[in-house]
Amino acid sequence: MKLNIIQQRSLWWGISGVLVLVSLMAMAISWQQFGAPLKPGLDFAGGTRLQLTRACVATDSCTEPLELAKVRQVLGDQGLDSSSLQLLGEDQQVLAIRTRTLTVDERAPLQSALDEAIGPFDPGSTQIDTVGPVVGKQLLVAGLLALLVSFAGIVAYMSLRFKLDYALLAILALAHDVIITAGVFAILGLVLGVEVDSLFIVSLLTIVGFSVNDTVVIYDRVRENMKLSPGSHINDIVDSAVNQTLARSINTSLTTTLPLVAIVIFGGPTLKYFALALIVGFVAGAYSSIFVASSLLALWRERTGQAYSDDPDLSEAQPETQS
Amino acid sequence: MAKYRAWLGVILVLTIASVVVITKIPTRLGLDLRGGSQLTIQVQPTAAIPTITERELEAVQTVVEGRVNGLGVSEAVVQQLGNNQLLVQLPGVSDPQQAERVLGGTAQLEFRAQRPGTDQQLQIENQVLQGHLGELAALQASRPSNGEINSDTQARIDKLQAEITASEKAVAALFEPSTLGGDKLTDAIARPTSGTLWEVVIQFNSEGGNEFAEISKAIAGTGRTIGIFLDNRLLSAPTVAVQYAETGITGGSAVISGNFTAESARDLEIQLRGGALPLPVEVVENRTVGPTLGRDSIQRSLYAGIAGLGLVLVFMAIYYRLPGVLADIALIIYALITWAAFNLLGVTLTLPGIAGFILSIGMAVDANVLIFERTREELQAGKTLYRSVESGFYRAFSSILDGNVTTLISCLALFYFGAGLVKGFALTLAIGVIISMFTALTCTRTLMFLAISLPQFRRPSLFCPGLTTARPDPVRS
Repeated sequence: MKLNIIQQRSLWWGISGVLVLVSLMAMAISWQQFGAPLKPGLDFAGGTRLQLTRACVATDSCTEPLELAKVRQVLGDQGLDSSSLQLLGEDQQVLAIRTRTLTVDERAPLQSALDEAIGPFDPGSTQIDTVGPVVGKQLLVAGLLALLVSFAGIVAYMSLRFKLDYALLAILALAHDVIITAGVFAILGLVLGVEVDSLFIVSLLTIVGFSVNDTVVIYDRVRENMKLSPGSHINDIVDSAVNQTLARSINTSLTTTLPLVAIVIFGGPTLKYFALALIVGFVAGAYSSIFVASSLLALWRERTGQAYSDDPDLSEAQPETQS
Repeated sequence: MAKYRAWLGVILVLTIASVVVITKIPTRLGLDLRGGSQLTIQVQPTAAIPTITERELEAVQTVVEGRVNGLGVSEAVVQQLGNNQLLVQLPGVSDPQQAERVLGGTAQLEFRAQRPGTDQQLQIENQVLQGHLGELAALQASRPSNGEINSDTQARIDKLQAEITASEKAVAALFEPSTLGGDKLTDAIARPTSGTLWEVVIQFNSEGGNEFAEISKAIAGTGRTIGIFLDNRLLSAPTVAVQYAETGITGGSAVISGNFTAESARDLEIQLRGGALPLPVEVVENRTVGPTLGRDSIQRSLYAGIAGLGLVLVFMAIYYRLPGVLADIALIIYALITWAAFNLLGVTLTLPGIAGFILSIGMAVDANVLIFERTREELQAGKTLYRSVESGFYRAFSSILDGNVTTLISCLALFYFGAGLVKGFALTLAIGVIISMFTALTCTRTLMFLAISLPQFRRPSLFCPGLTTARPDPVRS
């Protein structure tokens, strides 16, 4: 298999362009609906989430799924009508309630009222998450800062190891991966109500770290090929660099995705969407490294009159000494 | 080849050491896996104290620590978080509601006069209390490092805890109620007196000074004490000398002296100062996971980890043949060393941390993929097997380094800015990336060169299927 990266670049850019556009549109729609580009989860929006599991072994009452109507009534009595409810688990025996931020003195009566109405619940399987509005903002700011800092760090490192234009193009490719991953989750949020929390920002950062890896490998090869055949046109150099590293790019993405697929299959609800975000990002990352970052580099060099490299920097790039 | 034999020895020793570490030192599990509550407590500024400084946060921390101890949760941790928050971890807490109630609210510091005729009772109650506290401390100290204790010990600890609470109540009952609270205390300072002895100076505002004068006057010379209570726990019970019987201790300040060491004086100082702070604390974040859910998460993660590892192992062996199998061995060694490193460094494994570890399994083979692809290219270019393997390692190195450094940059950013759970992920991923550099380069390299030193493995088809041009390798070893 041989890919014509440069020749078909309008196709590759077209695909990327459409995906980015759809992602941005999804985020815009989501902005209108939720006031944020992605549906904010508990971590960012603040609130209280209660997850209760009916104690089944003890009472033998688990043939029927939990009755949401009764739950709503209890919530209504407590003045929490606007809460959202969800049944989880195979037998619908797990109740998840999301309310505004509750203090312990509001939460305790709610729990005991629920316990009375549809319980008893197993205290060992209870999960409580309360995030005050202040903390929510803190988490969001910290996450976005981390994202920015790691972008800056990568630009700095790549400018050091390569040149500034490589670094900026790599960041462009990264922005592409991040936007598409966010877009997929914006769509998931609109369609399935999937929310994003701190772990989503973690997944974006991991995508950034990993996907730049792919780009680096290709750029590394471009640099090496320039040194080996100084007279070649940048388009040919990029084409052969991508093809030489193609098997590696695909295999690495595959070996990294395989454990993630295992997490999606076996992992609990917290990790499922985390792993899914990583898979989306890694696939987008592999695509952008192979097709976008490479062809952008060729275009950039061509436009700036560096199609035939006589780069003084290259001569000092690690001389090979066979050991 | 001697060089590689030596390396093989090192790798073997490391692997065995890792297995020993894994079996001997237990893995520390985060609250989301073992069950428990993690609370973030925010100290609220007031009109009187508009900004929270280091000094105030430290004082509030001791107050919160005192309350946490009262809960009787073993291995509880209280840490400062930023400049106005405290992070409280309560593993295996049985009643998160009670915990949250107890930890919130403003500190209650009181100066109360001892009731007449209770000297003996106080002494006895105090002895009982100290006995219980001593036994509890001894039990906690003898706890094995993994935190697992048998049910008998746990039952004893629970019983002691209940008895301590009862004793504290009994002690408190021996003192009269009082209106002299922490809000009237302006400062507390520990200072050295003669030799190695220390004392603590306390200062009241004018209203507090008057009340203190009255209390001290009432008990001066009687042998009764002034009980200083923080959240209903007796901190100190000084007597007042007979010379103050006429007027009490006036002037709004007093000195508590006795057998204070520098440390115990400082403890009292911080406790008093914490109690004097009219700073309300509020629980702003609560993450509670029941132990059953935690166990469930561990099991699921275990399945995911094993399945993920299995898939990668199979893929590598099928696609890369002999080198793939060698990389698989290196990968298993990687998993063992990394796990051992977590235990050895005391990394607390959280759910995202486990995800980071599982993810790093997939990433760890990346270096090998790069090397093997390069080796194949060299073989296809007609190089000898030995040379191809050699330059595969050599030429892939710069890509491997660059790739791992960029991942580490992201980890660093995450670790620096992230909160608890996020930090766990960054840490495990970073440790994984660093160890994978070692195993993917050193382990695989050693195994590869040892393998091609054996004639039966020296067939290029084992390295690159469908290779027709390669010559059999005249290897010199």
